[in-house]
Amino acid sequence: MSEDTTLRMEGILKEFPGVVANDHVNLSVERGEIHGLLGENGAGKSTLMKVLYGLYSQDDGDIYLDGERLDLGSPQDAIDAGIGMVHQHFMLIPRLTVAENVVLGEREPATAFRSDAEDSWLPAAIRNNSLVQSLAGQFSLGLDVPEQRIQDLADQYGFDIDVSAKIWELDVGQQQRVEILKALYRDVDLLILDEPTAVLTPTEAERLFDSLERLTDEGLSIIFITHKLTEVDAIVDRVTVLREGRNVGTAEVSSVSRADLAEMMVGREVLFEIDRDAVDLGEPVLRARGVRATDNRDIEALSGIDLTVRQGEIVGIAGVSGNGQKELAEVMAGIRDVTAGEVVVNGDDITGAKPRTFVDSGVSFVPEDRLQYGCAEDLSVMHNATMKDFRDSRFGDRPFLNYGELRDYAETLVEEFDVRGVSDVTETKAGDLSGGNLQKLILAREIYRDPDLLIANQPTRGVDVGAIEFIRETLLEQRKAGTGIILLSEDLDEIFDLSDRILVVYEGEFVYETTPAEADRERIGLEMTGGGDDEGQMETSPPPSGVTQGSES
Amino acid sequence: MNVAVTVDAREDIPAWLAYGTPVFTVLAALAVSAIALVVLDVSPVAAYRTMFVETLVTEFGLSETLTKAIPLILTGLAVYLPLKAGLFNIGAEGQLVAGALAGTWIGLNVSLPGLALVPLMFVAAAVAGGIWAGIPAYLRAKWDVNEIITSLLLTFVALEIQSYLLRGPMQGGTGNFPQSDRFSEAATIPELFGGVHAGLLVAVCMVIATYVLMTKTRLGFEITFVGSNDEAAQQAGMSKFYVYLLVFVVGGAFAAMGGISEIAGAQGRYRAGFEPGYGFTAIPIALLGRNSALKVMLAGLFFAVLFVGGSSMEVAFGVPAALVEIIQALVILFLITAEFFKSYRVGIDLKRGPAETPAHPQRGDD
Repeated sequence: MSEDTTLRMEGILKEFPGVVANDHVNLSVERGEIHGLLGENGAGKSTLMKVLYGLYSQDDGDIYLDGERLDLGSPQDAIDAGIGMVHQHFMLIPRLTVAENVVLGEREPATAFRSDAEDSWLPAAIRNNSLVQSLAGQFSLGLDVPEQRIQDLADQYGFDIDVSAKIWELDVGQQQRVEILKALYRDVDLLILDEPTAVLTPTEAERLFDSLERLTDEGLSIIFITHKLTEVDAIVDRVTVLREGRNVGTAEVSSVSRADLAEMMVGREVLFEIDRDAVDLGEPVLRARGVRATDNRDIEALSGIDLTVRQGEIVGIAGVSGNGQKELAEVMAGIRDVTAGEVVVNGDDITGAKPRTFVDSGVSFVPEDRLQYGCAEDLSVMHNATMKDFRDSRFGDRPFLNYGELRDYAETLVEEFDVRGVSDVTETKAGDLSGGNLQKLILAREIYRDPDLLIANQPTRGVDVGAIEFIRETLLEQRKAGTGIILLSEDLDEIFDLSDRILVVYEGEFVYETTPAEADRERIGLEMTGGGDDEGQMETSPPPSGVTQGSES
Repeated sequence: MNVAVTVDAREDIPAWLAYGTPVFTVLAALAVSAIALVVLDVSPVAAYRTMFVETLVTEFGLSETLTKAIPLILTGLAVYLPLKAGLFNIGAEGQLVAGALAGTWIGLNVSLPGLALVPLMFVAAAVAGGIWAGIPAYLRAKWDVNEIITSLLLTFVALEIQSYLLRGPMQGGTGNFPQSDRFSEAATIPELFGGVHAGLLVAVCMVIATYVLMTKTRLGFEITFVGSNDEAAQQAGMSKFYVYLLVFVVGGAFAAMGGISEIAGAQGRYRAGFEPGYGFTAIPIALLGRNSALKVMLAGLFFAVLFVGGSSMEVAFGVPAALVEIIQALVILFLITAEFFKSYRVGIDLKRGPAETPAHPQRGDD
């Protein structure tokens, strides 16, 4: 063991009913390194980190930080020991400023209770009483800390953030830096980042990597949880791979290949290439003409879309995020109203019909935002697995519902689609599943009903290698079964691998159509950014992320 | 001495805590109330014996408790059902009044044999209560108007209408009191057993119906889903509009049945001051019983014991009515606080010796 080792986790065991999440896992992190923690969804990465952050207590094993054994009962203990964590979902309050958010968890007592406050109305004797201090720290809150101190901290690490800006004015990348700042303000030596790039655009991810390198230069150690192999190559020094709760090995990134890592993760060889058999196209399942629709702010997002999808055809829709893909998917799934045009499914014009009509017409939808539209996270896996099919007569005569049948059906889905982390379909909540397993469950629900049209919006986003492979194969199988599929993805490779036809969407219109065989990637890239037409070299790059919009609130 | 208070979220709730909490909290609330009793020179032991033991062992106490429980259980369901769909029906009191008025009008103006008249009164009450609850539900379902505010404010409208009707069109009886005529024999809800009227049967049937609805039907599945994630539910083809309207209208009908039960079963005539507060007590009842309609029934019975036992204590020991209300309020307060202790662990660290580390070491240079 090297002298530089700052963190050692030894033989960590954590069991949940029916599942061993961590099976005697060892992990050691050196000072000043970025240590990757790689594994499939459900491999136990998050559990291990929650143990380290004091959110779970381990059933066995020890944690040492700088040689000292830690006994972590809560995140506060972890923070006191110098361990910080940035969660995948940000824990920020949009209406407060950056500075206020940074001090929020710190439990700075209200001004009147501070021992060093000068103009407090409370006598010093009371303020200095330790019980009063403790209660004030717990139950009152001072948000008026000097912004300057936090600004200095941000500048020190090269975060260009205006600390007096409100959170809602910031873009996602900046919000993430605020989360990191929160940890830094608490003086941590070890920072855990849980899939930090899942919410970022590639440019923002680049900026994050720069920031992280700066942090390690200052002597911080970072644990970087990910399941993207490209990121491991880009930023990580050493990597530890977990599989099914066990430590498969730790390696210097420079000495292993991407394929090796993938194999370690999944436990078998991973096919990066997918075979696509030819399928005869059948009747059109979807015919949309002149579709216009607005986004949530009533601004036109689709300006005249014509789209035909045939049985057994995968139509890939490529585009830069925010060019109408979300609205397109929602219109075709029947949950967003069109302002003009018509949507014909299986020959029936169901423009403007209720979502129920779309569901009954054989339209399935895998939404982009799993938690918003895809599932009810507080309800059981059973509820979520049967969210569309519970009306089917096999689940009992109206108006009654046979919960035993629902349960069996849900168990079938969980088994056939290899959804992991489910101990009991009626007990396990959808929100407790990891991202990839939840996505498998949603896909299972949408596909098992044998749809005529499947709309898959970003089906593999935030999902690990093994699950990506599974999801893609499932989509291809479904194509073979004669389902027409609309695939919206920001991953060009995915579009190329799966599609029979590629459409490029730009500002709510299809600007280019091609097939994978004759497609020219550069041309597609150009079309995606609106540079395809002869005259327009339009400026489409977003404003530099350091700039905040005006602070009128 | 250094004292630190810590609050941590619990990972899982131990079984003894889950089942013991209601008991501990009631005992704790009674212990605090005992201080007030001692100050008034009343023995807490004797007072509580009157309040609970005598209420539960004497025939009079039991029949009073069951009678009181009828409107409490029904209004409890009126809050519970919308709660399952993610809505807050704060206006059960208004729905109760609307139903009581409509039912009373039928009872006083229609002459039919009792077996037909009483059910008709219930139906009329349910329709009126359903309409009264349907207004906020429609506003919420259609235009997203906050149902908490509209349902609450409609309560005051209902109370004013009651005040007008009983001083005007519905006023009756001898003298110039703001009250209706007495109900005829046919319009009075018959006695079921030992002084308890048949409204109890209605309440129990509604509890069972709600239980079956929520656990055995497709509609219950939809209500649960809409209550958990309405956007996902809509994507799956469920109708939020329909569910919202349904839970409120049915809830309003429940509250209304509670209202007519109380007037035609217990009171015998409608007096203008009728403002029993059942619709508001229904909120803690529904919160306590939020996991199941059967638990709503238990919570309704518990509050009935508190009300009846409180009155007996008031009479037996001459304690002010306010004290009884304090005890009831403390029990509610403690039960709600208990939810906090169920989900969080609170510890107090005592460290003797000089306080070396200040409580907030982060404070720096300002």
